[in-house]
Amino acid sequence: MDQHGRMITRRKFLKTAATGMALGLVGRPSFLEAKEDYDLVAISGEPVAATRKALEAMGGISRFVKKGQRVVLKPNMSFSRTPDFSATTHPLVVATAAQACIEAGAQQVLILDHTLQRAEFCLERTGIRDACKNIPGVHVLALQEKKFFHEIKVPQGKVLERVEVMKEILDSQVLINIPVAKSHSATGVSLGMKGLMGMIWDRESFHSQYNINQAIADLATVIKPQLTILDATRALASGGPGGPGEVKKPNLVIAGIDPVAVDSYGVTVVPWYGQNFKGRQVEHLLVAYQRGLGKIDIDQLKILKEKV
Amino acid sequence: MRTLIQALSLLLFSIFFVFATYKLPNWLPADLYLRLDPLLGLNAVFAAREIIGRALWALITIGVTLVIGRFFCAYVCPMGASIDFLDFLFFRKKKRLGLKAETSFRKAKLFLLIIFVSAALTGLSLAFLMDPMALLTRFYTFFLYPLAITLINLTLDLLRPVFQALGWITLSHLHYPQPVYYMSAITLLIFGGIIVLNLLAPRFWCRYLCPLGALLSLISPLGLLKRRVNEDCNECLKCQKACPMGAVADNPKETRLPECIQCRTCAKVCPQNAITFPTSLSYSVGGEYSSVNFSRRGFLYSLAGGLAVGFLGIQTPFTPRQSKHQLIRPPGAIPETEFLRTCIRCGECMKSCLTNTLQPCLWESGFSGLWTPKMDLRLAPCDQNCNVCGKVCPTQAIRSLSLEEKTHAKAGTAVLRKEMCLVWAENKICLICDEICPYNAIVFRPVEGYRRPVVIASKCNGCGYCEQRCPVKGESAIVVVPNGEIRLKEGSYVKEAKRLQLDFKPDPGDDRFILEEEGFKVEERKKGKENIPLEEKSQPRKPKGFL
Repeated sequence: MDQHGRMITRRKFLKTAATGMALGLVGRPSFLEAKEDYDLVAISGEPVAATRKALEAMGGISRFVKKGQRVVLKPNMSFSRTPDFSATTHPLVVATAAQACIEAGAQQVLILDHTLQRAEFCLERTGIRDACKNIPGVHVLALQEKKFFHEIKVPQGKVLERVEVMKEILDSQVLINIPVAKSHSATGVSLGMKGLMGMIWDRESFHSQYNINQAIADLATVIKPQLTILDATRALASGGPGGPGEVKKPNLVIAGIDPVAVDSYGVTVVPWYGQNFKGRQVEHLLVAYQRGLGKIDIDQLKILKEKV
Repeated sequence: MRTLIQALSLLLFSIFFVFATYKLPNWLPADLYLRLDPLLGLNAVFAAREIIGRALWALITIGVTLVIGRFFCAYVCPMGASIDFLDFLFFRKKKRLGLKAETSFRKAKLFLLIIFVSAALTGLSLAFLMDPMALLTRFYTFFLYPLAITLINLTLDLLRPVFQALGWITLSHLHYPQPVYYMSAITLLIFGGIIVLNLLAPRFWCRYLCPLGALLSLISPLGLLKRRVNEDCNECLKCQKACPMGAVADNPKETRLPECIQCRTCAKVCPQNAITFPTSLSYSVGGEYSSVNFSRRGFLYSLAGGLAVGFLGIQTPFTPRQSKHQLIRPPGAIPETEFLRTCIRCGECMKSCLTNTLQPCLWESGFSGLWTPKMDLRLAPCDQNCNVCGKVCPTQAIRSLSLEEKTHAKAGTAVLRKEMCLVWAENKICLICDEICPYNAIVFRPVEGYRRPVVIASKCNGCGYCEQRCPVKGESAIVVVPNGEIRLKEGSYVKEAKRLQLDFKPDPGDDRFILEEEGFKVEERKKGKENIPLEEKSQPRKPKGFL
C-alpha cells in the first residue's frame, strides 16, 4: 500500500513531460495559423500532452500569465489518495500547467489547497509535490491554519456575507483552477466551482450552516479564476468526493475561461452514479448560471475538440 | 569527558524521540533507550509472563554493567543527564538541606524495586510510575514536545514578515500542527518534583528513589572498574562532599560499590591525585561497603507491599470488565488483559501518533490502566496511511504491523446514534460521515422518505473519521465502540478479517448498487413513499445534488 499505488516516478514524469513539450512544439505552428477563439477546449490524450495542447488552444498560457506575475494554481489535493483513485487532480496536469506558467515568466507559482485530510499525506500521496519539486519557482503548499486566511466581503452574496479566503489569492495576479472531475455526495459533482471551496477556511459551514449550492455560487462571485483546467483524464463517477468509487477514464483535459461552462461540459463527459446528466441538472451550476456567472448550455458554445 | 558523553546521550535520546513519528524509517529503532532499560524489560516480561523480543535488548545493558559497573547512570541515562543539567542551572550555588539517616533512605529505591517486581509478578505493570526512561519519555511527550512546537510556531510567526520579505515561500507558510495531551500538567509536576528534590541532595532521585538504579546497583559491585584510593590520601574528605551519589564511605578510602556510578568526580577533585579507577579482577564482594545493605524485614515488607499493591491493582471491578472494556485501543494493540500487562506507559506511541488521536488514560480502566494509550476519536481520527505507533512500541503491546495488516486490525465499529443524528432525528441534509469515510462503510438508504445514513459494520475498521467530523455539538452522533474490534496476540489480521468476512480494502465500490440493494423491503418502500416530501417524490432515484 505504501509504494505500489503511486503511478509516477520522476523518470516517467520527465519522459512524458519531454514528450509533451515536443508535441507542443510541433503543434504550435498549425495553431498559430488558425487563430480562433474558443469558449471551451476539450483535448483528448495523455495528461501532459493534453494539458499542453489545451493551454495552447486557449491562446497560450501567456494570454493569462504575464512576466513577473505571481500565480496561484488550485488543484484538488484534499485527500490522501493516490492518483488512481481519481479523488485528486492528476499530478502531471498540475506540473504541466505550473511549468507553463514558469515558462511564461511567472515570478512564482504557488500550488495551494486547504486539505481535508492530513496535509503531509495529501501532498505526498497525490503525487503533486513530487511532480512539481524540480520546477524552479513552484511551491506546493497546504494551508491549514487560520492565519493564512483573510476575511473578505461577499457583496453579491445571497447566503454568504463574508468568507475567509487564502491571503495568497488576494496577493496574486493570476488564479488558475485545476479541479479533478468527480462525483460528490452533496452537490452531485465536484468540478471547478465546487473545488473553490478548497480556498476558504471554514468549508464545514457550507455543509452545516448554508444551502451549499447557493454558497458555492456566492463564493464564485468573489473567487474568480482567470482560467479553469478541468482534469477529466480520470473521473470518479461514484463514491465522491473522497472515494473509493468507480473510476472512469475519459482521457480529457477541458479548459475554458467561463467557470460555469467548463463545469457544465464536465458534467457530460461521464455518467455519474450510472446516470447521464446535463449541466442544468446540477443545482449549484444552475444557480450560478441563473445568477449570471457563466453560460450553462454547452451546445451554444464554440468548443474545440481534438485528440493529441 | 563524562559531561560530553552524557550530553551526547541526551541528544541521542532527543533525536530518537523527534524521529518517532510518521515517517519513521523501518531500520531506525526510535524506542532504543526504552528497549535498553532492563527494569522495563523485566517488568513487561514478568507481568506478561512471556519473553518479549525487544526487551532482550536490555541484556546489553545488564552485560555491560556486569563488566564495568554502574556506568549507565553517569553516562547513558538521559534522566540522569537532565537532572545533572538542571541541577547545574538551578541549584549549583544553593546550600543543600541534606538528609539525616541517609543510609536508610538509600534502601528506599531497593524497596521500590521489590515492590515493582513483585507487583509485576502478580500481573500488574507498575514500574512505569518511576522508571526513569518511561518517566522521561512521558515528560518529553506530554510536556516538552507540545511546548517545543508552540515555541517553534511562535518563532515562525514572529519571523514570518522577514521570510515574506525575503521571498522564502515555504518558510513563510510553515506551521506545525500543535499536539495536545491530557495529563500534561501531572507529568510536569512529577518531573518538576524530581528536579526540586535536588535541593535536598544532588541526584536525590538517583540516590534514593530510582528503581532502575537499584536494579543496576545489585549487579554493579561485580564490575571490573573500581575506585581505589592510594596512600597519598590525607583524608581531606573533599571527595566525599563532591560525590554526587554519596558513594564515598565515612572512611574516604572505602567506596559504597553499589552506589558508585563511575563518574570519577572524586578523582577530579582529589588534591592529592590519590584516586584511580583501575581494572581489578578481584571480585572483592563482601565487606561492609560492597554488598547491598538490605534487611530481611525490609525485604519482606516491600515484597508484601508489592504483592498487596498487585492485589489492589488487579482485583478491582475493572478486571472482570476487561473483556468488555469501553476504550478504543490503537489498532494492533494485543488483547486487553495482555495489553495492560505489557504496556509500559512510556508515551512513545502517543508522541509518534500523527493525528494526535492517541491520548493517555487517566482512570478509565482503573489503576492498572493509568497512562495507557486510547484513541480519542472525537479529537482526531486514526490516519489510515500511518502505522508508527506499533513501530515505536518498545514492548510490542501495540504490534508493529505493515500498513496492510494495520488496516485490518479493526479498532472498533462506528454506531449511529439516531436520536442525535441530524438526518435521522431532524430530517436535515447532512452527509459528512459518508463523505469522509475512507471505506464507504456509511451508505444512505431511503427510510421514511429521506435518505438516511447507515453503517455497514463489515466495512468499518473503526478509524473514527466519522466520529471526529460529525457536526453535532458535544458528543458525536456517530461513535466508534469497541464492539467488533480485532485484537490478536499473534498471527495475521488480514487472515482474521477475511475469516470474519470483513473488507476494508478501499476498493472502488458503487453507491448505485447500494441504492438498489435487495435488502430493502418492498413494504417499507411503499410505506416510505407515502411520506416522501414533494421534491423527493418526483425523482426518488436521483443522487443528491442533481435536479
